[in-house]
Amino acid sequence: MMNLAVRNLSKSYHQHPVLNLTQASFGKHSIEGLIGPNGAGKSTLMGLLTRRIPPTEGSIIFEVEDKHHDLIPLSSHQVAQIGLVKTNQRIQGFESLTIRDSLRLACTPPTQETLKSVFSKEQLSEAVEAEIDDYLSRFTFNEPDGYARSAGEKKLLDILRCLILKPKMLLMDEPTAGLPEDVTQQVMQEITRQTKANDMRIVIVEHDLELIWSFCEYVHFLVDGEMLFEGKPEDVKANRVVAEKYLGL
Amino acid sequence: MAYLIFSITLMLVYIGLAQLLHIQFGMLGIPNFGIVGFWGLGMYSVGVLNVQWDFSFIPALILTLLLVALVANGLGRLILKLEGQAMLCATLAFSAIVALLVITEKWLTEGVVGLGTIKYPFDAGAMTEPLYFLILLLIVVGIQLFINKLHVSRLGTLIFSIRDNEELAASLGKDTVKIKLELFTLTCALMGLLGALSAPLNQFLTPNMLVPSVTFAVWIALILGGKEHSMGAVLGVFITFGLFDLLIESYLPVAPEYAVMVPNFKLFLYGAVLVAVLMYRPRGVLGHSAAGARQELP
Repeated sequence: MMNLAVRNLSKSYHQHPVLNLTQASFGKHSIEGLIGPNGAGKSTLMGLLTRRIPPTEGSIIFEVEDKHHDLIPLSSHQVAQIGLVKTNQRIQGFESLTIRDSLRLACTPPTQETLKSVFSKEQLSEAVEAEIDDYLSRFTFNEPDGYARSAGEKKLLDILRCLILKPKMLLMDEPTAGLPEDVTQQVMQEITRQTKANDMRIVIVEHDLELIWSFCEYVHFLVDGEMLFEGKPEDVKANRVVAEKYLGL
Repeated sequence: MAYLIFSITLMLVYIGLAQLLHIQFGMLGIPNFGIVGFWGLGMYSVGVLNVQWDFSFIPALILTLLLVALVANGLGRLILKLEGQAMLCATLAFSAIVALLVITEKWLTEGVVGLGTIKYPFDAGAMTEPLYFLILLLIVVGIQLFINKLHVSRLGTLIFSIRDNEELAASLGKDTVKIKLELFTLTCALMGLLGALSAPLNQFLTPNMLVPSVTFAVWIALILGGKEHSMGAVLGVFITFGLFDLLIESYLPVAPEYAVMVPNFKLFLYGAVLVAVLMYRPRGVLGHSAAGARQELP
């Protein structure tokens, strides 16, 4: 049972409201989609959920493994530590870290990142190194021990960095933007596999509707900061409001 | 000879400050423009405890270390969340406050009259100064070993990730605020330690020692040497302080009739070297391209 529940969540910039959600909940299905026109507030919602953006008001509750987490008082690193992680729409990375180091960073426990640990010889466990090797053997990078150079590599690394954290719920903000078609398919197969193997939940924000229809079990439709409709993909496709506001039919 | 030992001991102090700035700015990305504030606070704290309140040197040193750490921690809590430019102004303002307090709080610091004499913590006759030099050398070597370890440690990787993209590092579950505060407190406290150790070296403390040019000298040295390279601080101070202030200014063999020109000549050469390095090696003498920064490090 996993549930990321939002109540009366709002965000305004200079009295200009961009999001005003009475109620929404994510995580009942393994892969859910979040769609809506540009400026609907999709990315803002994702930023609010991971506590990267402070909300104007409202509550966010993350229920996972019988634990009840109120996310509002937490900071973004604490949200990540309890298993709610987001991939980025905009290309982001650590320019002075190699691809391998970047993945290692994600796997390193805080106890190995203290001042004391500078003088200890403790390394990452072999299991973790093997996991990194496994990812790097299945996903192709030009130089796995060098730096992510192209936009596609950076975007892929961003997603892998989040996957290797083994999140309970992964929010993906436009994962396909900037990724080549074959890599997109590979990523989607990987996350589908992991939702089954690790009981991970996924929420995808995407403009590529074909991808939404083929992978998502449930779709949320956001317009002007409000959730206008939600349901199974076929219901969303058939809905007149969605068709008018977004699909342009 | 005594002057030479004094000068190279002072050079070690500058190397230490530049090494600590390398951790703060080169590795972590915190632009500390208040170096002279932490250094001066350490120096005056030992001076006041030693001269005014009759503490012996070692207890004064320990109390000073605690005081500077406490002040740095408090300042860090206030400013480390700010943008780079705001941090720069805040730290610069902090050092100005320290310098002003030293002038105004005459009951404590003797103001512009000056505070002295601060004796060396031990008396070994003619060997006192050379021994003191060795102590500072040990400290500087110690800091360098720590830097070398830090560069290849897991904490080092985290530090670089914070410099590159703090928000992203936090989104991976890293407590970036805590790490920054810890390192800022530690390195500023060590700047205070170097200040405390500078007190017997200078013997007599006056407020005009706490001018921002100390900060700038450290910054120029680090930028010249290469802010991201683990040895950039050492090389930078060797060039700026060692080559220009020491070698050319004091030991260049010139005929007496030309000696009057030496300071101007030095300044000219100093400027020329600075311009040349910034033009041809914008990341410092030991710097390299952005992406290759980590690979070639020791």
